[in-house]
Amino acid sequence: MKTITLTLKKFSSIALEFEELIPDTIYNWSKEDFENYQVPVGNSKFPLTNYFDIEVEGDAEGPEDVKMILDGDMSRVKYIGYRMTAGEIIVNGDADLQAGAEMIGGSLKINGNAESYVGREMRGGSIEVMGNVREYCGTSYIGEWRGMSGGIIKVHGNAGKQLADCMSGGEIYIGGSCDILAGIHMTKGYIEIGGDVTRWPGGQMKNGAIVIKGKLSSLLEGFENEGIFVDPDIEGKQLTGKYIKYKGDIGVNGKGSLWLNAEKNRNLL
Amino acid sequence: MEYILKNGIVYDPTHNVAGDKKDVMIKDGKIVDNVSSDAKVLDVTDKLVMAAGVDVHAHIAGPKLCLGRLYRPEDSRAGLVAKTDITRAETGFSIPSCSATGYRYSRMGYGTVTEAAVPPLEAKHTHEEIMAIPNIDVSPLALFGNNWFVLQFVKANDLEGLAAFVAAWLKLSKCYGMKVVNPCGSEAWGWGMNVHGIDDPAPHWDVTGREVVRALTQVNEMLGLPHSMHVHPNDLGHPGNYPTTIGTLDAVKDIKKNPNVIRDQTIHCTHLQFHCYGGTSWRDAKSGAAPVADYINKNKHVTCDVGQVTFDETTTMTADAPMEYDLYKLSGLKWANKDIELETAAGLIPIIYSPKAPVNALQWAIGLELFLMINDPWQVVLTTDSPNAGPFIRYPRIMSWLMSSDRRTEMLENEVHKWATKRTDLASLDRVYDWNDIATVTRSAPAKILGLEQRGHLGVGANADVAVYDIEPENFDATKASNASVIEDVMGRAAYTIKDGEIVVKDGKIVKVVPSRHMWTNVTGFEEQEKKVLEDIMPMFNRYYTIKFENYKVFDHYIDPAIEFKIDAGK
Repeated sequence: MKTITLTLKKFSSIALEFEELIPDTIYNWSKEDFENYQVPVGNSKFPLTNYFDIEVEGDAEGPEDVKMILDGDMSRVKYIGYRMTAGEIIVNGDADLQAGAEMIGGSLKINGNAESYVGREMRGGSIEVMGNVREYCGTSYIGEWRGMSGGIIKVHGNAGKQLADCMSGGEIYIGGSCDILAGIHMTKGYIEIGGDVTRWPGGQMKNGAIVIKGKLSSLLEGFENEGIFVDPDIEGKQLTGKYIKYKGDIGVNGKGSLWLNAEKNRNLL
Repeated sequence: MEYILKNGIVYDPTHNVAGDKKDVMIKDGKIVDNVSSDAKVLDVTDKLVMAAGVDVHAHIAGPKLCLGRLYRPEDSRAGLVAKTDITRAETGFSIPSCSATGYRYSRMGYGTVTEAAVPPLEAKHTHEEIMAIPNIDVSPLALFGNNWFVLQFVKANDLEGLAAFVAAWLKLSKCYGMKVVNPCGSEAWGWGMNVHGIDDPAPHWDVTGREVVRALTQVNEMLGLPHSMHVHPNDLGHPGNYPTTIGTLDAVKDIKKNPNVIRDQTIHCTHLQFHCYGGTSWRDAKSGAAPVADYINKNKHVTCDVGQVTFDETTTMTADAPMEYDLYKLSGLKWANKDIELETAAGLIPIIYSPKAPVNALQWAIGLELFLMINDPWQVVLTTDSPNAGPFIRYPRIMSWLMSSDRRTEMLENEVHKWATKRTDLASLDRVYDWNDIATVTRSAPAKILGLEQRGHLGVGANADVAVYDIEPENFDATKASNASVIEDVMGRAAYTIKDGEIVVKDGKIVKVVPSRHMWTNVTGFEEQEKKVLEDIMPMFNRYYTIKFENYKVFDHYIDPAIEFKIDAGK
């Protein structure tokens, strides 16, 4: 097991990019290798040591043996865990854009808030965010119609707009509330939102399931009521309580399911 | 600067040089027959030497490309190359950034590319993009097939007026030649309709595709434009369309070629692969390549380029807007549409050509059938209708398929859907292209078809556009299936690309960036008629266009540097 600890000593208002600093590339790096590394900052590169104190302990045979700990305010560090396939990254602070984007395996834990594009086009592995995430969590890249296809994202706080756009697999759990258009264009996968949702979940969804345990303010017209179910089993997940089931989005001949907590959404009964 | 390329194996089909070991000499941007002792010697002993490539049909500049880049940001992620001291950063795969377009053609050893569809209204934009594309000279073709004024002249059977209009509009748009796309069909799209076949009139016009193609071909020959009529016939991509294709080609058979042009054809049919489908629906679709190839073999007034499918995820973009909508309905991905006022309409969708998909396998096989069934390589040009059937960077891969029937068999047996075997004759075609054929279909033939006297060959006086590839044709068996990847690799990164006597690529890397020239045709001898025509059409122009005529014209600073082809139509 190899533990790499990067402790922030100088905050850069121009974002640092960490796409090369993932277990897959650094598992055999020594402390000297880190000290010689130039990290991309804006359109140039500067020594990593300008920004971080670096500690390296132990040895690793491969990326799966790596534990990276990022201590401090990483709210201007982008692409943490980008395309990682194995190992573990822990961020003790906030994270900037694209945390866990295109992730293939391993785990990423953010003990703070994360910016937009968490887990974009994720294919596997797990991401846990203790705080909130901004827009486009678990979505596709802009313009791309193939989004998150696997893995698990757990957000304990709230999520922003267009959660899981074009999702085609995997699972997303949001503990708090969620803004507009969750699960838009989704074709497969499972989304569970613990809190309230503003508007329009599941727009143009073709398949997959969205569960909303809080109150939904505005439902899209393209969803047909299919009745009330008690303690439903949704894609292998056993829920408790009464849920109103909708099918949609019929505008695109969709066969997705949207489940709303009946108690919280009595206005729709 | 003088150069001498020493001891290369030269293929120059225009001058019947097929694999001779000889020197190529360059002085002041031209091929010459001797140079002084100061000439710099480039030792290319036993390496493949050809004129630089000429592309007869691609979509590389203009509003469709820009729309594509806006609409497919995900495509920009592919093909990323960091900037160097010489080059700018590259992005994009099917719709590369402007500079990447120039670098990539240049790396393949190409020197001239035709931008195949310029709506005159957007010609300024097209020329702006050409200014941003380095290292290749560009010959843009203006769209005329659905232009209201053209339809009006055709309806009135006023060929004199139409000729003056074409002459004026080539000057205004600074274009090289004429292109027709789905004649009357894109106009019908303004009403949410399409036309079917060449005798189906555009709504409200009572003019048919046949009449438009005939009239414009007559005008093309009347004016003596260097390139012939360049046609994308009706019914593109529809099963059972091959009779429409043959009908279109046959409709102009009797039209006499202008005696002053170097080309042999009066009609060039582009991306023929998309126009050679038999059957009645996608259920029973099959190849229609044989009857079309047979027609071309018997008729010298026709040339074509193939539009070979390359099995990539690419972008289709065409002024055949109704067809794009049909394709969107089939693919279910995303679709963009663009209306060009009185001139045409364009559509755009992403598309994934998969070897495992029956229709795509069929399209792939039909393209190769055309290459192999058309006997005279001077009548067929290698294109992918880039990016419609695949991006142009796949040309070397297509060469490898043409040069090895073993490779094709390998693909038919293991890689592509069985429709390619069962619904086409590809499996029975064992013809292979040699280097001379490759030089013909990528250089000599397209240059001749475009009417470019100084390109596509290595004769004295030709532009010093030369490509050298790091392969020894005499010690290389291109027919071996296992060598296909070598051909693709080598032909994709020229050892040298020389443009107008300057080395722009060395060992597959861009070493110099030069501005591309805008080629345009200036028809003289029609000034009086042009003036009258402009006066006549101005009321309609002012009524329907959203811009003023004063702002319509492409000004000279948009085409710097330019090559003007002066045509004396009075001759």
